[in-house]
Amino acid sequence: MQLKNYLHTVLVLLALFLAGIFLSQCTSPFNQIDYNTEVKPILNKNCISCHGGVKQSNGFSLLSEETALAKTDSGQPAIIPGNASESEFIRRLSLEDQEERMPLDSPPLSKHEIKILKKWVNQGAKWGLHWSYQTIKDNEGNLQLGSTSTVINNNSKDGKIDQFVAKKLKEISLQPNDQASKSELLRRVSLDLIGMPASTELQEQFLSGRINYEGLVDKLLVSPAFGEKWAALWLDIARYADTKGFEKDGIRNIWRYRDYVINAFNKDKPYDKFLIEQLAGDMLDSPTEEQLIATGFHRNTPTNDEGGTDNEEYRVKAVIDRVSTTWEGIMGTTMACVQCHGHPYDPFPHDNFYKSFAFFNNSRDADTSMDYPNLQFLDSLNQSKLDELKTWIASVDSQEKASELEYFVKTKQPVIYSIEVDKMINADLYDTKYLGFRKNGSARLPGLDLGMGSVLLMKTQTFIESGKLSFRLDSLNGAEFASIDLKDTKRRYELLEIPFGNLEGIRDVYMYYTNPKMKDSNSRGAQVDWFYFTEKFPGQDHTEFSEKRKLFDDLVLKNHENTLIMVENPDALRRKTHVFDRGNWLTLNEEVTSGVPEILTPLEKENATRLDFAYWIADEENPLTARTFVNRVWEQMFGRGIVLTVEDLGSQGQMPSHPDLLDYLAGKWMYEQEWSIKSLIRSIAVSETYRQSSKANSNSLEKDPYNIYLSRGPRVRLTAEQVRDQSLQISGLLSEKMHGPPVMPYQPEGIWKSPYSNDKWILSEGENRHRRAIYTMIKRTAVYPSFETFDMAQRQVCVSRRIRTNTPLQALVTLNDPAFLEASESLARRMLSDGGEKLEDQINYGYYLGMSKNIQAEKLEILVQLQRNTLNRLQEQSIEEDEINLLAMTTVANAIINLDEMLNN
Amino acid sequence: MKQDIHKLIAEHEFKQAELNTRRIFLRNAGLSLGSLALGSIFPACTSNSAKSSAEQLFTNLNPLSPKASHFAAKAKSVIYIHMAGAPSQFELFDLKPELNKLDGQECPPSLLDGKKFAFIRGVPKMLGSQAVFEKVGQSGALVSDNLPHFKKVVDEVSFIRGIHTDQFNHAPAQIMMHTGNPIIGRPSLGSWATYGLGSENQNLPGFVVLTSGGVNPDAGKQVWGSGFLPSVYQGVQCRSKGDPVLFLGNPECTSREMRKSAIDAINKVNSLTYDEFHDPETLSRISQYEMAFRMQTAVPEVMNINDEPEYIHEMYGTKAGEESFANNILLARKLVEKGVRFVQLYDWGWDSHGVGKSTALKIGFINKCRDTDKPVAALLLDLKQRGLLDETLVIWGGEFGRTPMQENRNGVEQVYTGRDHHPGAFTMWMAGGGIRKGGDYGETDEIGYDALDGGTSIHDLHATILNQLGFDHEKFTHEFQGRPFRLTDVSGSVIKEIIT
Repeated sequence: MQLKNYLHTVLVLLALFLAGIFLSQCTSPFNQIDYNTEVKPILNKNCISCHGGVKQSNGFSLLSEETALAKTDSGQPAIIPGNASESEFIRRLSLEDQEERMPLDSPPLSKHEIKILKKWVNQGAKWGLHWSYQTIKDNEGNLQLGSTSTVINNNSKDGKIDQFVAKKLKEISLQPNDQASKSELLRRVSLDLIGMPASTELQEQFLSGRINYEGLVDKLLVSPAFGEKWAALWLDIARYADTKGFEKDGIRNIWRYRDYVINAFNKDKPYDKFLIEQLAGDMLDSPTEEQLIATGFHRNTPTNDEGGTDNEEYRVKAVIDRVSTTWEGIMGTTMACVQCHGHPYDPFPHDNFYKSFAFFNNSRDADTSMDYPNLQFLDSLNQSKLDELKTWIASVDSQEKASELEYFVKTKQPVIYSIEVDKMINADLYDTKYLGFRKNGSARLPGLDLGMGSVLLMKTQTFIESGKLSFRLDSLNGAEFASIDLKDTKRRYELLEIPFGNLEGIRDVYMYYTNPKMKDSNSRGAQVDWFYFTEKFPGQDHTEFSEKRKLFDDLVLKNHENTLIMVENPDALRRKTHVFDRGNWLTLNEEVTSGVPEILTPLEKENATRLDFAYWIADEENPLTARTFVNRVWEQMFGRGIVLTVEDLGSQGQMPSHPDLLDYLAGKWMYEQEWSIKSLIRSIAVSETYRQSSKANSNSLEKDPYNIYLSRGPRVRLTAEQVRDQSLQISGLLSEKMHGPPVMPYQPEGIWKSPYSNDKWILSEGENRHRRAIYTMIKRTAVYPSFETFDMAQRQVCVSRRIRTNTPLQALVTLNDPAFLEASESLARRMLSDGGEKLEDQINYGYYLGMSKNIQAEKLEILVQLQRNTLNRLQEQSIEEDEINLLAMTTVANAIINLDEMLNN
Repeated sequence: MKQDIHKLIAEHEFKQAELNTRRIFLRNAGLSLGSLALGSIFPACTSNSAKSSAEQLFTNLNPLSPKASHFAAKAKSVIYIHMAGAPSQFELFDLKPELNKLDGQECPPSLLDGKKFAFIRGVPKMLGSQAVFEKVGQSGALVSDNLPHFKKVVDEVSFIRGIHTDQFNHAPAQIMMHTGNPIIGRPSLGSWATYGLGSENQNLPGFVVLTSGGVNPDAGKQVWGSGFLPSVYQGVQCRSKGDPVLFLGNPECTSREMRKSAIDAINKVNSLTYDEFHDPETLSRISQYEMAFRMQTAVPEVMNINDEPEYIHEMYGTKAGEESFANNILLARKLVEKGVRFVQLYDWGWDSHGVGKSTALKIGFINKCRDTDKPVAALLLDLKQRGLLDETLVIWGGEFGRTPMQENRNGVEQVYTGRDHHPGAFTMWMAGGGIRKGGDYGETDEIGYDALDGGTSIHDLHATILNQLGFDHEKFTHEFQGRPFRLTDVSGSVIKEIIT
């Protein structure tokens, strides 16, 4: 017995000794215990599911210092700082009694873990702020906060990245790998920066030594293809798609937002500005068209047109999605769970979600089928009409009035949508979208602020001649204060103007429709799309009045090309925000005002707006914003983030592999590079770490199997977009046309099969068939098949990280998808015509176009054999001689497109 | 060629084993090398905690390889028949004499207060059953005349009545039914099943989707999406027209031999590439190309119903070359026979609002019943005669139920008879795969409006389905966004009453 105990002790000591050696970098039994790296992982793994943000069993929660040191249900605190032996928290860990011992129903903590916790309590149970919530400091003493000096396009490498990586590599006794060959590097950096192999000219310039590596990087960075590559990352976060997302999943016009993102990357728009424009561009002073288009970011939420949906429910869902996306996509924080309860692991109480919700709860969008509000783009004829109208209004009234009406023509805001009415009798929301009145029909506009204007404009159509609409205050039987006789608009919308007079206050307005000519009480007499409170149209006394008024009406009613934007509610239409009980939008708890989590940098402003929130997010003091994006850029270039879980830098996410490197890059990016994304990418691309060869040797494979320590260069499978773009590029088919409405390259029949939808996939003509992947139409419920197979995000919700898979269906795409066969044939033609006389040279040429190097003899021999085999087989079929050559070479070209080397960077 | 690759795989296995030994040692020494142990691409499924290195590698190379469940499974595979649009329980399985008495009367306000409907406005009229019912089988279950064939197999199934959901629009309700959450982005039932169990047949997709009725379900492809699981677990739609699996067919002039020589060439070059970079993903790619080649024959073979004997066609009511529900049902049988883990069928056109002939309970609905009744009954009989029913879980249902009131869209009486969406109480059935024969679980009130005793939630259904597949739904999780996610979220319990 004693011997057993003795042996046990020896083993434990031995284990502790070994552990001590391994942990010597972060733990030493004689030093201060670090809460973040040593204590918190133990608590999160073993305790927090019962004693955290969701459950607080026995009144004990380890979520924050405050709750952990508070009295529990027993009346005593479980943790007595400085006194482990008196702390119930420690006592419970090593009891014999299974009923009492913690963690309940789970294996006990290891001795080592208990020791750490004991020590921590004895040292005062000091709490630490999780690493990612700490403001990024000048950790190397070489960053000057707020410094204006920039290093953009500075050719010298700063070497810091490599120092951090080397330090870490030393821990596992590895050396950095050799530098990659020129061709390997050329291919890697081209795919990473522009999403496809560089043009043949650029390849030659680099390989011949006319430009050096830094020169190559700079040329790639200024290529317009750069933005087309990097936009994909952001469009996943923004859940950008060209359809609305449910049932018929109708097409939505929001491609200008996609082009905004491409341009922002190409123009190297500073990231802070990029964020502010997207989150609240509409609230900037006199926003530009570009800034309004940018707000499409949060209009990419799905809308539900399905018959019988509750529009408010889907408006709320969109707002919830905006909160989650903002936190996850921009700040690497999973806030989604806080919708229903306090965060289980991170210090975000339940109401924090709704404090964020309050920032987004006052935009004008409301799940309308037209996706209001939209920014209108007038063609030149209509634009000149609008200019003429503006000039006239300015002359008869004022410049302000002219601007106001111009804004209305451009945005049709702020209006009250017909879906906001209630108390309908003999009236209904037809197709759950438009307010339709039947004979003697009535409806209410609830809680209207009559101070918004003296005139009501109604976008209305009638289905039958005559009819009258009467307006009554406070009840259906209330006093009529206005009315209008309706004429037959022949089912076309017109703008009706109803003078409301000088009424004041917040009142209910009832509408009552009568029409003696209507016989059928089941059919619609009139239908309304929206209501707009304004003042009388200016220039009533001028001879041109009715002409100008008609011009205004025409411009408002016409369906111009448009894109979805955010517009903030005017004060009169502001919504209040409540905490939803367990996340249920129909059960409201206490009211909350906008705000940010206490744990983070304060937002010291009352009634802070969405714009204030945007400024707070894009501030250098925000600890999450820069770290999150730097980590994403790193992931794009190395296939794995410094924090693997790019979506979660919180305590349940992975710890950073190189925390100092992440903070260094983030600090430098904000303070030195002034949020320039190109500068950030450049710093990484020119580092020795990035330039390592990706060839693994047995030593590095053993010690660093997943390349976490960066002991070699990245080797990552191409994205769905890159697979397409590469094949188009090397085959010479690629169109360089940028921007514009989405295109429809080849897609098999029968992919679009949404109910109630007449939308068709119509093969694009001409060069639109061969545009880069980023311009392909994305239908949410039926993503372009080859993209889906190569793991593209579905774009329904924010996707931080695409999980790469390796499947037989991918092989079938690149072997048999007609889009890839066309590219193969085109590549084969290039090989035959430009590759030289000899078969070997032709095959080598095709390989070279993608790989920027000559093919190894052994591989060449295999492909030569393939060509010969194919040729022989084809000769057995009755095919014309000149076609046989092309077909055989097409088989080889297709094999090249399918090579593992070609599918990896 | 093949040997070379297997040699490489063996070598890699050996190295991996060495590595794992070291890793296990480190872990046992009380260290957490969290990210190291996480696996390169596929986060380890929590149902398989102790995996040998060779298994781990095989899983890395082939995420669809068969895996063990938590406990012995009753069902090896699943055929889930979803009637998209939500069939009316009142015209199929739920006879409510009280409701029939109320037929034509105005709906009492107690049923309307505080309720939301998709299309009913104002005060609708109550609507008695539009079908004739008969007591059938040994169980004496009441089944309507709309399902004459089903009557013959009724003793094979367990009914679940009083199922409720919180969604009353098609797309979100379908997403709820198949992912356990109305929010888009969660993995579907079939994805969870293949994620947990892999597939028995490596030449066919593990999770196959078949659709009929002319269009996809309202929720689109996301109801068979893999959500946050790797996309290798998403459903593969097999089609009756064109390639049965997208891009399966070789281009014109490319014979099978030519395809083989091309894939051999690609794989030979790739194995040389492996020698250079030692990237295990390259080995995986080699085996995926081999599998693609095998799929090219295996899929058309299983998708071809021409060779089925005449009596089978007779039994199912199938006609080769058609795009039909009956053909899909027969395919489902063939697929599970070949070891496919999860076959998901969607048949569109069950949204019986009565706004036109095709949605009228007395016209369109009866036609839908006629098209589907015979094949569904045939499936149960056929699985049984092949000894497959015991290990195949068959599920039938819609995304919600229908109101006991007649729909009055826009507050106006309609020409045809129909019912609105109703999330409060509806009926599904399950059969085979360890489900009790002749079972009948759950009850609704006398007009079929609400479930009694709390009813059955979607999570309960999912918990039961996972249970039959050998999983404890509370322990079957996937780590995502810093927390373990499960199909049943935070609730659900197995319906013990319907399992054996």
